[in-house]
Amino acid sequence: MTDRQNVFTRAILGVGGGPMDRAIVRLSAALARPSRAELVAVHVVEMDWTLPLDADLAAGSEDAQRALDMAEEAAEDAGSTLETVLLQARNVGAAIVDEAAERGADLIVLGLPYRTRFGGDFDMSRTVPYVLKNAPCAVWVVRQAIPSEET
Amino acid sequence: MIGGRRPLTGRKPGDRRVRVERPHSTYFRYTGQGMLTAKRAASAPTTAVGRAVAGVRGLFIGRPLASEEESGERLSKTKALAIFSSDAISSSAYATEEILRVLLPVGVAALLLSVQISIAIALLLAAVAFSYRQVCLAYPNGGGSYTVSKVNLGRTVSLVAASALLIDYVLTVSVSTSSAVEQIVSAAPGLHDVQVFIGVGAIALITIGNLRGLREAGNIFAIPTYLFVVAALIMIGLGTYRILVLGEGSGYTEADLEATTTTLEGVTILLVLRAFAAGSVALTGTEAIATGVPAFKPPESRNAATTLLVMAVLLAILFIGITFLAAGFGIVPGEGADKTVIAQVAETVYGAGSIPFYLFSIFTALLLFLAANTSFNAFPRLLAILGYDGFMPRQMSFRGDRLAFSYGIIVLAIGASILVAAAGGETHLLIPLYAVGVFIDFTISQSGMVRHWLTTRAEGWRWRLTINAAGAVLTGGVALIVTFAKAPTSLLVLVLIPSLVLLMSFIRRQYDAQASELEVQSDAVFEGPQRQQRVVIPVNGINRSVIQSVNFGRTLASDVRAVYVSDDVAAAELLRRRWEHQVPGVPLVIVESPYRAIVGPVVAYLDVLDRAWPPDVEAPVTIVVLPEYVARHWWDRLLYNQAARRLKAALVGRPHTVIADVPYRREH
Repeated sequence: MTDRQNVFTRAILGVGGGPMDRAIVRLSAALARPSRAELVAVHVVEMDWTLPLDADLAAGSEDAQRALDMAEEAAEDAGSTLETVLLQARNVGAAIVDEAAERGADLIVLGLPYRTRFGGDFDMSRTVPYVLKNAPCAVWVVRQAIPSEET
Repeated sequence: MIGGRRPLTGRKPGDRRVRVERPHSTYFRYTGQGMLTAKRAASAPTTAVGRAVAGVRGLFIGRPLASEEESGERLSKTKALAIFSSDAISSSAYATEEILRVLLPVGVAALLLSVQISIAIALLLAAVAFSYRQVCLAYPNGGGSYTVSKVNLGRTVSLVAASALLIDYVLTVSVSTSSAVEQIVSAAPGLHDVQVFIGVGAIALITIGNLRGLREAGNIFAIPTYLFVVAALIMIGLGTYRILVLGEGSGYTEADLEATTTTLEGVTILLVLRAFAAGSVALTGTEAIATGVPAFKPPESRNAATTLLVMAVLLAILFIGITFLAAGFGIVPGEGADKTVIAQVAETVYGAGSIPFYLFSIFTALLLFLAANTSFNAFPRLLAILGYDGFMPRQMSFRGDRLAFSYGIIVLAIGASILVAAAGGETHLLIPLYAVGVFIDFTISQSGMVRHWLTTRAEGWRWRLTINAAGAVLTGGVALIVTFAKAPTSLLVLVLIPSLVLLMSFIRRQYDAQASELEVQSDAVFEGPQRQQRVVIPVNGINRSVIQSVNFGRTLASDVRAVYVSDDVAAAELLRRRWEHQVPGVPLVIVESPYRAIVGPVVAYLDVLDRAWPPDVEAPVTIVVLPEYVARHWWDRLLYNQAARRLKAALVGRPHTVIADVPYRREH
């Protein structure tokens, strides 16, 4: 991680269909280009316990497909390529960590959206803390700009 | 893997996940609610032959471009001047020669009149430029004569304008290319015998470049114009200095000059008008800036109007300057081993065989090729607009793999190549056709502007109307002069224009008729089908392909019957027995055909079925299901389905009849 020319070789990008997806793809693509690092966008559909884990849910979900397609398009716009992976799991964080471990990734990139409701705060959800705690590699959390910073 | 879903275990007990296949992702991308965008793979060829053809196409034309890859570059005035003016400025390379060719038969001294004639043409240019400035200001979205006349003068006049423009674009390519090749031949006379091949080859190269999506907005296209302008201005400056200050020039002999008075008496007004008409080709391309207003940087109209004036001034200086030098140095066209007039002027000023002479010849040829290229952008675009408007086949408005209007480019290349070959690569043989359409366009455009000002009465409309009305009268007059002075060849254009107008009107009428035939009322609601259906399956025996077709037919209607046409009654009887046993519920009709025909008896049988239907009940839809064996290779297609193919051809267009092919593919 210290070599600036070779920041990472394989990164898992967690895309949730939110406003941060394009930002993390663009950033990762820019950093991946010099070393031709691999980028894998992962979208996890969280399965309710009332449904079996292998229920036919994600394949028919246009939102899930669109999140990954948008990530792929953003990577192409940034002059890079990206593999897309669609998962169904009970725990989004665990699925991302397991996918990173299986693929031997050396970086996980997550977006951290900012919610303006209730005075405004970053939406950590359960996923970011879980990944930070259990990831087998480095984790980058890219936060959304606070509205006051944008002006 | 269960239906495209693969269960995976995680690092911790209980952390399981399922990886879901995304079969669409190779070919499509979700871009919005219920909206898919096809990726390049979706239109990629799937067969080996298709891939090979695509490979060869890719070699020449390049990889397919997506629509969003189109360049939306806006042009600065400096760049736009070079790009849009190449057609107009390049005409200074041959306009002088055309005047001299008309005057030459009267006598060498008559050539001195060429300077006055070029000044008169420059004044006409000034009038046209002032008129077109108004077009730039009034039509920020581009004021081609077709657009202006469509809005202001109605359909027929706009089609006349479009036809004249189309003819002129073809002539621009052929004239510019021929002239460029003549320029090359002037520098390298050994190439004279192959000048048609060079011309057609150059058109082919420009065509390939444009099919690859070559854009005229690139910097590379601005360079030749400036190189030519600078080299020509230096040549004019040096030549004028040598004539006026050093007293050089005048290649005419004393005898010629003494004969001037006598000779000029022979110069009739008609001859002067003919020379004027010949030289007026200098004005071709003047309208290009008005057409391309949207390509300018903001404020588009103002920038385009300024560029137009600069272009007119430059063209006037070059045209008068070159004519002055030609007259001053006593240069005569058609002499000096196939050298063009401009080449002879350059040779005189820069020195024969000198590097500046060769450089000037190269710059001139480059500019002329560039002028040809401008038509390759404008012609297909106009055809596409006409296609959108329904006056040309709709495929003219389809863009190819490289975002270029490929059909239009090919039509232009073929038309221009034929003209170059027909004229033997001689520019002056094409000139009588040229300029006629240009001046008709000028007139229509200016008349449209008169109507525009009368209708809109925008600020300063009286002054603007006066300018455009004067422009219309002037260009209309010149159009008449050019037409009659260049007759009878020019009259060909007067035949071609109405022919094209008729053709375009015919195409539009066809599209209108089709549209009204297919029109569906916007408030109509369509329930399920009410009409009865029956299925007829022509069979050649009992085999897998036939059984597959029968099963398919059973899903379409309850009334399914098979028809077997044969001249062998015994064999047919055998088939019937087998059919009744193996395909119960589907009657087999055997048609004995003693004359061995197959298609005719099947069609006749369908006619009989139709006639047997009660006349007071709406006729059912007859679905003819054709079993088809899919050949594995391109070369064995000839062996199968010939009768089915002929039957299909016979049934196309038959009322109440639908043909359904049921292909049978081998599993292995």
